[in-house]
Amino acid sequence: MEEVINDYISRELVQDASLLPLGNATSLLETGILDSLSLLRLVVFVQRQFLVTVDDVDLVPEHFDSVDDICAYLRSRQGGRAGQAVGHG
Amino acid sequence: MAYLLQHLLTDSAARAAQRPAVAVGERFLTYAALDQLSNQVSRALLAQGVAPGDRVGILSPKSAAAVVAQYGVLKAGACYVPLDPKSPAGRLATIMTDSGVTVVLADQATAGQAAAMAGSVPRLRAVIVSGPHWGRPAADRLAHGATPQGPAIVPWEAVLAESAEALGDDLTIDSDLAYILYTSGSTGTPKGVMISHRASLTFVEWAAACTGLTAEDRVCSPAPLHFDLSVFDVFAACKAAACMTVVPENTSIFPARLAQWLEREQVSVWYSVPSVLTMLATHGNLPGFDLSRLRTVIFAGEVFPAKHLNRLMAELPGRRYLNWYGPTETNVCTWYEVPAGSAELTAPVPIGKACANTDAFAVTSGGDRVAKPGEEGELYVRGSGLMRGYWGDQEKTRRMLVTNPFQAAYDEPAYRTGDLVTLDDTGNYVFLGRRDGMVKTRGYRVELGEVEAALYAHPAIREAVVLPVPDELLGSRLRAVICADGPAGRTDGLTREEVLDHCHRRLPSYMVPDVVEFLEALPRTSTGKVDRARLAEHGK
Repeated sequence: MEEVINDYISRELVQDASLLPLGNATSLLETGILDSLSLLRLVVFVQRQFLVTVDDVDLVPEHFDSVDDICAYLRSRQGGRAGQAVGHG
Repeated sequence: MAYLLQHLLTDSAARAAQRPAVAVGERFLTYAALDQLSNQVSRALLAQGVAPGDRVGILSPKSAAAVVAQYGVLKAGACYVPLDPKSPAGRLATIMTDSGVTVVLADQATAGQAAAMAGSVPRLRAVIVSGPHWGRPAADRLAHGATPQGPAIVPWEAVLAESAEALGDDLTIDSDLAYILYTSGSTGTPKGVMISHRASLTFVEWAAACTGLTAEDRVCSPAPLHFDLSVFDVFAACKAAACMTVVPENTSIFPARLAQWLEREQVSVWYSVPSVLTMLATHGNLPGFDLSRLRTVIFAGEVFPAKHLNRLMAELPGRRYLNWYGPTETNVCTWYEVPAGSAELTAPVPIGKACANTDAFAVTSGGDRVAKPGEEGELYVRGSGLMRGYWGDQEKTRRMLVTNPFQAAYDEPAYRTGDLVTLDDTGNYVFLGRRDGMVKTRGYRVELGEVEAALYAHPAIREAVVLPVPDELLGSRLRAVICADGPAGRTDGLTREEVLDHCHRRLPSYMVPDVVEFLEALPRTSTGKVDRARLAEHGK
């Protein structure tokens, strides 16, 4: 799961190549990778990829500040079905 | 009567000394404190040799320290130039060099970044740290003493040692410059829009009256200082002795967090680009929050898609919804209020009618007459809200700030907006599109030519075209189509990442292309020009 999300963020959202390779613990907010648009794109991606629904109230920095945070949140949403990536693309 | 922006502060400090002027979370500066601290900054500026008319950079996100700095510069008779701490160093150096900045006001967190600019801006002679320091990272090493070769560093403690008394007589008159805002320039370098005290006050006085601001209001705009939307919350709130509330930088990214913040801060008047409001309407979980204090919602900078505005108005009924329109060069020049109880909107709302003390008229493509209702024309604006021109670029100023073609008796400036409009049957202007290569993304103006110029600076890029891709949320996304200089048109190892990194070093992030494509050759029209229409079609 970490690899899929890290790959998506690195490929689609990171504009500053000096931030690559992206660490799973790197803050997406402090590095400016996340803005309101990239957050929405990321949410659409993880919803499709991991078949979860991200509630609006869950759109908070605690869940989306790093690859690790996102995975921890998704695992809690999946109820333990960790890493069940659906396809790649 | 206020004829200089800083009079707004001295007047409010005299009648509402203990009212909150700037609030950051639980902390706030009273009008008396803001007045005194900005007096101290003005004295620190004079001590560094700043003279009336000088340009002083302000390198800071929006904060209490930044507002203290803004008023401090104005009280010193100087003109401030907002510098976005998130901009690439090269762009900051271009702006500082172009405007002739020799002294920069920073905050505790940006002082080191400001001092480091001396490497590319040799004229930089002093960095003054503004305050107070609330919620900003701890001081860095440079903020506490002079560096051997670099600019003098004046710490906040030294500013606080200055007298808090006002300087006395005004050092400027109302036609002098108050600030210069740099916007995207089509030739590849940003251009400085010069705004005088009179021009800014023309907007501020109208805006405070239009929104009915009172001392009870809590006003918020997430717009940073270099974006002209921030003139409203910094100065119009001050005119009414209202409280300007500073939204934490990352809060507006998370819609439900923003809604929670609006509830906690009891914000009554909000002003932003539509995309932030769209996010709030669609993902803000608004029914879960008590936003009963929010009475007026203002949007500007780009077209608000009707379906998202409908959703927002359904989620937050009974508020005033105002569409403000105007390029940086004119401040806000027209406005439209969505009628209360209006039926579901099916098209974007009009940009409306001219503001007080402003005239706006559409000129036909021939340039010889005013367009009739229903006919397309380019919007011209005249009045005291206009910019003085572009800093150091008289040729460009003459092209954009033309002589009003319909005033034969004397020369009067009118600004050509480049926006195509038509007058609808209710007497409101409706925005139709642009005449040139400028697009809006996230509410910011982007000249496609400036992005293309940045791409061409890469040695391996032979040709580059940047096209806008319509985006419901952002206005436009930017799509770069590139021919690399490799053998037989191959990309020669040039990657998307390298292109983005190259752009990132030269352009603010909102100007970095969202999509990068490589082609062996660009399609051409029969006249040999790049066939932008075909490229745009190809991108769909």
